[in-house]
Amino acid sequence: MDSTALTGILALIGVGIGLLGLLLRINEIMRRPFKEDLSRPRGNVRRGIVYAFTLGMAPWEKESTRKHWFAYIRGILFHIGVFSAIAVFLVSPWLARLPQWLVWVGGAVTGLGALFAFAGIAVRLAGENERVLSLPDDYFSVFLTATFTAMAALVMLTGRGLTAFYIVTAVLGIYVPFSKIRHCVYFFYSKFFFGAGFGRRGVIGQPKGRFSE
Amino acid sequence: MDERFSDERYILTDEKAALALDVLRKRLNRQLEASLEVCVRCGICADTCHYYVANPKPEYVPAYRAEQLRKVYRGLFDPVAKIAPGWAGAAPLDQDMIEKLILSAFGSCTMCGRCVINCPMGVDTRHIIRTARAMLTAIDMTPEGLKATVNVHLQDGNNMGVSAEDYVETVEWMEEELQAELDDTSVKIPMDKKNARVMYTFNPREVKYFPYLISAAAKIFDAAGEDWTLSSENWDATNYGLFSGDDDASRIIASNLEAAANHLGVDTLVMAECGHGYRSQRWEGENWVGHRYPFNIISFTELQAQYIQEARFKLDPSVNDKRVTYHDPCNQARNGGIVEEPRYILRHVVQDFVDMVPHGAENYCCSGGGGMLSMTEFAKERIAAGKVKADQIQATGAEIVATSCHNCLDQLDEIKRHYKLKVKIQNLSELVAAAIIWEKTES
Repeated sequence: MDSTALTGILALIGVGIGLLGLLLRINEIMRRPFKEDLSRPRGNVRRGIVYAFTLGMAPWEKESTRKHWFAYIRGILFHIGVFSAIAVFLVSPWLARLPQWLVWVGGAVTGLGALFAFAGIAVRLAGENERVLSLPDDYFSVFLTATFTAMAALVMLTGRGLTAFYIVTAVLGIYVPFSKIRHCVYFFYSKFFFGAGFGRRGVIGQPKGRFSE
Repeated sequence: MDERFSDERYILTDEKAALALDVLRKRLNRQLEASLEVCVRCGICADTCHYYVANPKPEYVPAYRAEQLRKVYRGLFDPVAKIAPGWAGAAPLDQDMIEKLILSAFGSCTMCGRCVINCPMGVDTRHIIRTARAMLTAIDMTPEGLKATVNVHLQDGNNMGVSAEDYVETVEWMEEELQAELDDTSVKIPMDKKNARVMYTFNPREVKYFPYLISAAAKIFDAAGEDWTLSSENWDATNYGLFSGDDDASRIIASNLEAAANHLGVDTLVMAECGHGYRSQRWEGENWVGHRYPFNIISFTELQAQYIQEARFKLDPSVNDKRVTYHDPCNQARNGGIVEEPRYILRHVVQDFVDMVPHGAENYCCSGGGGMLSMTEFAKERIAAGKVKADQIQATGAEIVATSCHNCLDQLDEIKRHYKLKVKIQNLSELVAAAIIWEKTES
């Protein structure tokens, strides 16, 4: 067995451990009591939830993302890059069969994501608030994800570095459930509760009311 | 240790630490865990907070405040934090952490929710802060003024210790004043009227310091031809348990108001112009008592808007001819969805209404929320944070700031004096009552 195949298996094991860890996290939160809201709704809860996962994530919808639109877009592109890198991992055995345009588009998107990921580390180091807030895990998690994304871009664009990419994937996979990267699971919960809570109260995602003029 | 907390009761013992951690364990539900876990510490919430805008220090970043409880949480529940606490950001609940929790949860957060609606991840910092407050309250580390307010309410039935005699006399006095003002002896303030359609509540500050608001409400109800009543018992709309984080106290206080409404058999409980009182009874109350109320709850703001829309009385906006702006109480607008109603009211009762920027659900807190007015230990920070609101008001060029909350009213009055704003602070009902064209005459 060559080193690429061996590291590929390692990567699969790492990703498997990561997924198992995330499932355990999901199991843990699902075992916590769910606080049912007994108050009578003023708005439509479903509309609030849909808003939270759709239009509510648009950069113009929140004052914070309107003011810090560049930071927000940077974060969005970073995450798109990560998803793209995951796709690169999934198709990595068949990279040679991909059409050239997809290779270039995928490589560019992933590379851009990596660039913005590394920029995220610089932002954390440069800003006083970010420095005070950041934990060692924050830096390492972003670094690991940025490296994973950069390696994916390299593999996509040059066809080289697959062994190293698999090693990074294995490390990242194992680290995910123990790190801040596990927010990928909690994000869906917190957005759901956000949408349900503020939707119920008629604050977000509702049509104009009877007193609107 | 901060000298403001040098009292013996602020010293953390092993028993107290165990008790506080037990509170955290018991309150850790799905919603709280999601908010504790999901923060990525991006810091984008920083300038959504009025404390930070007025004084840009990292300690005033909402994520930093919530991070204090997160550290304790990780120490309890995160396996990595047990091996490498520094790496994962865990810390024990020691004396140093207690001080940080007091300063974060009580000293610099009004639980206004502005950071919540601005967080890209949906972190509910209000929930985290109230949990931290609950832990501190459980170990008798609530700031003195807030603690006393809750205790007085539990003991006397209202948070200012107004006696039943004083209450009834004040209402009777206001009835006489209103009759004299309108030259109409048919105007009554009904007390304990069974099966009335609505029961109205008061913030004790109205009874004690602003009794003219009682007559303003009575004038509105009477002009609208409403079938209404007051309750001689359990009439206090406030619930400072919301601020102390004490769910038991919150439940008792909410139950008292529920009992009064049930006793009178009313269809609708109308919450006075009191932001947190409205939020407590309308949105949290049924969760505290554990069942749904058999009556409706609405705010007086919503009811006044309904009266105007239904043309229940005629209005003359020319009596309110000065420029008016509106301060949205966080607990009504951002935490209750009441945004259109006050604007609808003001467009009908004043000649020149102008909104602040930002307003509605995005409005800045006045800094008087979260029980902050009762916690004199933090008055300096509260007034400093009020600068944001003062600037907002000044930019409108308004001469009158209307609001619909007593804590806001008091805080706005204080920042008006501190920042030398030439404005008058008024409740919505004052402006509505003034604009009513009184048509009824004594037969």
